[in-house]
Amino acid sequence: MSLDRAARERLVRGLAGSVIEHADELTRLDQAIGDGDHGLNMKRGFEAVVATLPDLADKSLPEMLKAIGMTLVMKVGGASGPLVGTFFMELGKALPEQPSRADLVGATEKAIDAVKARGRSEAGQKTLLDVLVPVHAVLAGGGDARAIASEAVQAADRTTPMLATRGRASFLGERSIGHMDPGSRSASLLIGAAIETLELEVNR
Amino acid sequence: MSSSGPGNVGIVIVSHSPKIAEGAADMVRQMVGDAVPLAWTGGDVDGGLGTNVAGILKAIETAWSPAGVAILVDLGGAETNSEMAVEMLPEGRRARVLVCNAPVVEGAVIAATESSGGSSLAAVKRSAEEFYA
Amino acid sequence: MHDANANRAAQTFVPLTASAVLVNPVGLHARPSVKLTQCAKGFAAKIEIALAVDGPWTDAKSPVKVMRVKAPQGATLYFRVAGPDGKAALAAVLALVHDGFGEA
Repeated sequence: MSLDRAARERLVRGLAGSVIEHADELTRLDQAIGDGDHGLNMKRGFEAVVATLPDLADKSLPEMLKAIGMTLVMKVGGASGPLVGTFFMELGKALPEQPSRADLVGATEKAIDAVKARGRSEAGQKTLLDVLVPVHAVLAGGGDARAIASEAVQAADRTTPMLATRGRASFLGERSIGHMDPGSRSASLLIGAAIETLELEVNR
Repeated sequence: MSSSGPGNVGIVIVSHSPKIAEGAADMVRQMVGDAVPLAWTGGDVDGGLGTNVAGILKAIETAWSPAGVAILVDLGGAETNSEMAVEMLPEGRRARVLVCNAPVVEGAVIAATESSGGSSLAAVKRSAEEFYA
Repeated sequence: MHDANANRAAQTFVPLTASAVLVNPVGLHARPSVKLTQCAKGFAAKIEIALAVDGPWTDAKSPVKVMRVKAPQGATLYFRVAGPDGKAALAAVLALVHDGFGEA
C-alpha cells in the first residue's frame, strides 16, 4: 500500500469529515450515557487536524499519523483525546512508510494495546475497544475492505446492549444498557472513512 | 524546610471546572501557605467544562520542583489527560510526576500539607491517597 | 503500663506528655489540623495526639489521620512526644493549641 500526497490529504479529509458530519449524532449518543461533549470534542479535534493541511499531507504516512495523534491529544480533551490520539500516534510509530498488509495488522495491534494501556481497559467494557478489537480480528484474518467496514458498523451496534464498566458511562451502571457507546460510534465512523479512502487508492 | 534540599514537592490541581480548580488552589494557599509550588488548570481548549493536555503541561511547568510534582484530578478525563501529559514530559521529568488517586480538593490540601513539611513525592502521594484508604 | 510501652518504642528518649484544651471555635477541623501537622513536621521527634490520656494515639504528622480525630472545641488534646527535640516540639504544639491555632 502506497499513499501519495494527494491520497494522504484525501485520507485526512475523509477521516475528519466522517466525524465532523456526525458530530450531532455523537453528541446525542453521549448525552444519553456520557457528559454530552463527545461530538463537540471530536469535531474540534478533527477541525484542528484539517487546519494543519496542506502541510500535514507533506509528511510521510507515519509522521502524518503521529502529527494527527498529537493534534487530537492536544485539542479533543475529555478521555477521548488521549485515547484516539494515542491510537494515531502509536500507529504512526509502528508503520513503515509503505506498509504491507502484515505491517498494518502488526501496527494496529500495537496501537490497540497502547489504547488499552492508556484507558486501563479491555474489550467488553463498552468503549471504543469494542470496535477496535473485533475489527482488528477481521483485518488480521484476511477480511477484505467490505468485511472490515461492515464489522466496524456491526461492532458499534453490538455495544448498545452492553453494560459499561469503564469510562463516564460506567457511573450509570445498568442504565448504560440500551444506548450505543459514542466512542465506539466515532471509532466505527473513522474506520469506515479510512476503508473508503484506502479502497479507492488500492483499486485505482 | 531545608534550603539545601530539592525543595518542596509541587502540587497541580486538574478539574473539569476551572472554578473548582482555582477554588481548590485558593484553599491550599490559605490553609497551607506559600511554601509549596502550586498551579491549577481546568476547562477544555474552548473554555468549556473539560480538561486539556496543553493546560496540564503548562501547570506542571508552573509548579515544577526538583522534588517532583503531585497531580490531583477529578473525574475520568482529567486522569487520562494528566497521564497523557506526564508521558509527554521530557524523559528526565516523567518519573518525577505522579497522579494521585485522591479526591481533588481534600487531596490537594493534604498533599500540600505533606509537601510543606518537606516530604518526598512518594510520601506526598501516599498521604493524599490515605483519604480513600 | 503505657509508659513502659512508650519507653520501649522511643528507646533512648523518654516520652514527654502534656495536654491542652482546644479553645478555637471549630476544634481540630481542617485548617487547624493542617497547622498542627505542619508544626509537627518541623521536628524530628515522634509526636502523637489523643483525646484520652491512654490513647488511642494518632501520628500528629499525618494530616489525614489528624483530621479523622475530629476533636471538638473544649476537648482536651493529649500529646506524647519522643525524640531529640521532643521538648521544643511539645512546647511548640502546646503553644499552637493555646493560641487557638491563630484563629481564636
